[in-house]
Amino acid sequence: MKWHRILALMLKYWYITIARADRLFDVFYWPMIDLVVWGFASKFITELSEVNLLSVLLGAVILWTFLWRASQDMSVYVLEDFWSRNLYHLFSSPIKVSEHIIAIILFGLGRSLVTFVFLAILAFALYAFNIFSIPLFFLIIAIFLLSLLGWILGLVITGLIFRFGQRIQVLAWSVVWILQPFSCVFYPLSALPPWAAAIARVTPSTYVFENLRNILAQRPLDYGGLGYALIVEVIFLLLASWYLKKSFDAAKKSGLLATGN
Amino acid sequence: MFAIEVINLRKTYGKVVAVDDVSFKVKKGEIFGFLGVNGAGKTTTINMITGLLQKDSGTIKILNHDPEEAWEYVKNRINVSTAYYPLSDALTIRQNLRIYAKIYGVKNVEQKIMSLMQQFELSHLADRKVADLSSGERTRTALCKGLINDPEVLFLDECTVGLDPDIAEKTRRIIKNYQQKSGCTILFTSHYMYEVEELCDRIAFMDKGKIIKIATADKLKKAIKKHTIEITVKSRAEELKNFLMLEQMNILLAEDNTIIFEVTCERDKIYKILNKIFTKGFLLSDLHIKKPTLDDIFIKIARGRK
Ligand SMILES: Nc1ncnc2c1ncn2[C@@H]1O[C@H](COP(=O)(O)OP(=O)(O)OP(=O)(O)O)[C@@H](O)[C@H]1O
Ligand SMILES: [Mg+2]
Repeated sequence: MKWHRILALMLKYWYITIARADRLFDVFYWPMIDLVVWGFASKFITELSEVNLLSVLLGAVILWTFLWRASQDMSVYVLEDFWSRNLYHLFSSPIKVSEHIIAIILFGLGRSLVTFVFLAILAFALYAFNIFSIPLFFLIIAIFLLSLLGWILGLVITGLIFRFGQRIQVLAWSVVWILQPFSCVFYPLSALPPWAAAIARVTPSTYVFENLRNILAQRPLDYGGLGYALIVEVIFLLLASWYLKKSFDAAKKSGLLATGN
Repeated sequence: MFAIEVINLRKTYGKVVAVDDVSFKVKKGEIFGFLGVNGAGKTTTINMITGLLQKDSGTIKILNHDPEEAWEYVKNRINVSTAYYPLSDALTIRQNLRIYAKIYGVKNVEQKIMSLMQQFELSHLADRKVADLSSGERTRTALCKGLINDPEVLFLDECTVGLDPDIAEKTRRIIKNYQQKSGCTILFTSHYMYEVEELCDRIAFMDKGKIIKIATADKLKKAIKKHTIEITVKSRAEELKNFLMLEQMNILLAEDNTIIFEVTCERDKIYKILNKIFTKGFLLSDLHIKKPTLDDIFIKIARGRK
């Protein structure tokens, strides 16, 4: 593991980000759309029901961004290397898969934080919602657990790309949205029908959003749920890393690494 | 001392045997050429040596190290370039080269990039995106990347495809100069025979996954000894034709005053037959002696095995 190589790759992703307008859309535009839509929707609901949903929904939108961005960043930047047929040059150099992934994670984390700050300011300006009304320690735990889950998804999708090539690229954009209904982002676990609640209960991200609602309603935190999320994610992280390594070896065997398709 | 040692290398894709028990050694400082028809297994062999492709079996040594064990040592000292994989489209030449310079831990990054771009006449395009370059310019960008870490072993897989004759000639000169200055070892593939002939010290012919011959360009050319001679005489063409037939020459064409015939022999036999023609008093208005080229040999070997 050499830092100069990781930094070089981060520089690469920085160049790609500033060169491609759609990558900047990812940082600012889509998260902003989410925030605005949900913001006005919840303002409307609040007025109707006289229940203050604003912080619950906006907090959820802002935190959701971390899971969404983390999973997509990893697979999209790996796909980028496929599209530009760059694997040939990258992997004939001393770069290791682990360095490749760490560069993407660090760069992605930086991007997520930029988005976070942007959304926090915007939410305050538009709806006078102060994200720091959520205690900092919980924000850090939530961001960590959600990003980690996003990276796990990213690792698995990257593994699938190394195995099956670009034809499965649609997964890169869609998987996280399949997970969303079962993460209880905008509604409590109790609102789900039993079959969906069963799935939601094993999904680690559920506990982050459940606890967000707890904390905003001044209810005690469910530490058991957060602990469960952490343990499950660590296990999945190990499995996903192992799967990626296997897929990478398979790509070396099939010739995908050399040809890119 | 060998820079590359390959023993019994093998690679299959399902039922296709892409590389079949290939062995060869490349000396330090040598330019070693790979020739072969499409699908012969050249690229597959190179990709296994550079670690992009997992071999089925066999041994590879680069600079006396097993690249699987000492991959960091080896990979920092080699580089690859091909016209078929340009650098990132969305980035400029300078950005691309900067990234690879940093990956290889090059000192004085900006200076190195400038000097490479200058050598390959790309300086004026430094800040243009690779997507907006001509294919020749893209190819040269990939070559700059290939030299960015001053490699001790350089793999050039069809690295001159799409270059115009002038730039291609300059590129060969840069490669040759770099080789002479640095003493690096080069494994070179190309479908342009003159290029291989001009650059390479030794040449390996590959066919259907096997190396069928390794020799120097000169030796290979000696392997087929047919020179064709084209003579145009001012008069007495019929008489010359009869004379050549008497001398048991293989006449390929006799038309008007021009006769083309083959001499299957060494050099001094050519001299002898020409001498005889002169002493017989034939007046020549034109004379061509065509030596065999690698092209001829290549076609001959390729057809011979089909
Ligand atoms: N990823 C792959 N999957 C299946 N077969 C492959 C793969 N890559 C190469 N082959 C086959 O292996 C054989 C050798 O291919 P290779 O690319 O090494 O040839 P080459 O000598 O470089 O040819 P060219 O002159 O066209 O570049 C060919 O029959 C090719 O079809
Ligand atoms: Mg090839």
